[in-house]
Amino acid sequence: MVNLTRVMLWRRPSVRPRTVDPFWKKRQIFKLSSHFYGRARNCWSIAIRRVQRALMYVAAGRKIRKQHMQDVWDQRIRSGCQELGYLPEGEKTMLEGLARSNVLLNRQTLGNLAVLEPRTFEALNKIARVRANEEKIARYLGPFPKGILGKL
Amino acid sequence: MSASRRVQQWLTFTRQWWLFDAKWQDPFESAKVINKHLKGAHKPIFGGHADCGDHVVVINSQDIAMRGDEWYYRVYFHHTGYPGGATWTKAWELHKKDPTMIIWKACYRDLEKDLTRRGRMQRLHIFKDSNIPKDIIQNITDQIPQLRTVPKRLKDYSQEEIEKFPKLFDYPKEHVLD
Repeated sequence: MVNLTRVMLWRRPSVRPRTVDPFWKKRQIFKLSSHFYGRARNCWSIAIRRVQRALMYVAAGRKIRKQHMQDVWDQRIRSGCQELGYLPEGEKTMLEGLARSNVLLNRQTLGNLAVLEPRTFEALNKIARVRANEEKIARYLGPFPKGILGKL
Repeated sequence: MSASRRVQQWLTFTRQWWLFDAKWQDPFESAKVINKHLKGAHKPIFGGHADCGDHVVVINSQDIAMRGDEWYYRVYFHHTGYPGGATWTKAWELHKKDPTMIIWKACYRDLEKDLTRRGRMQRLHIFKDSNIPKDIIQNITDQIPQLRTVPKRLKDYSQEEIEKFPKLFDYPKEHVLD
C-alpha cells in the first residue's frame, strides 16, 4: 500500500509557475484528435476547434443515449406483446398491468426478458393481461390466455 | 452449442417472407405496416445493432384504395434536371402507368432516410395482381393481416343469402321502384 497522506499534505510552493509548457497542454488536445481525418489531427488551430465540437457532441450524446435505450426497450416489449397477441396495444398496457399487479420490473428488464427469456416474458404478459381484464387499463385487448381461471 | 440451440439461432436470425394483400387497402397506412416488417421492428430482437429485416411480398397492388378524391389531388413530382424538366403527375395517372409505383413510393417515403433504406427496399416485392413467380411464392411462410376487411359486394352474395337477410317489411305489390 502506498501511503500518500504525507505527500498530499506537503506544503507546495506558494508561487506557482505562471505558464504551463504549451507542449503538454496541446498534447492533451492532440490525444483527443488523434483519430480525426486530415489536418484536424495535427494542426493545432484546426484540431482545437474540432475537438471542442466533438466534445459538445459527446455531451449531447449522453442525453440522447438514455432516450434511445428507452426507445429500444419499449420497442422490444411492444413487439413481444404484439407477437403474443394478448395485449395488442403494447408496452403501455403491459407496464401498467404489471405495476398494478405489484410486479416491479422496469423497461430494461422486460426488454431483456422479451429477447432472452420469451417464456418468462409470456408469463408476465399473461399476468398483465388478466389485470387488464379486471381493471380498465386498455382500450383493445387480445384473446384471454388459455389455462388461466381469470383472477389473480 | 448443441444442435437445437444452433437451429434456434438460425430461426431467430433468418429472413422470413411475408405476404400482404393490398386489395382495397390504403397504401400509406399499409406502408407503415410493411415497413415494420422490412425493418424487423416486429421482432423483440430489433434494436438497431442487427439487420433482422424480413421480405414482404405485396400482391394486388393495382386494387389499392384511396380516400375520397385523393386519386385526383395527390400529385407526384419529378424533375429531369434540365430547365423546364419538372413534371407533376396525378396519382391516378401514375397508377395507370405502373400499378406498383404508388405503394413503392409510399414505403420508400416512410422508411428512414439513411443508408439502410435502399437495402430494405430491395426486400420489398410488389406485384400488380396475384400472379407471383414460383421462386418467390415458395419462400412465403406467413401473411400480414389486412388493415381493413374487404367488404363483400351485393353481387357476391347468393340469392339464398339475400332472401335470408332479415328485413323490416315487404314492399306492397303495387309499389313501383324506380
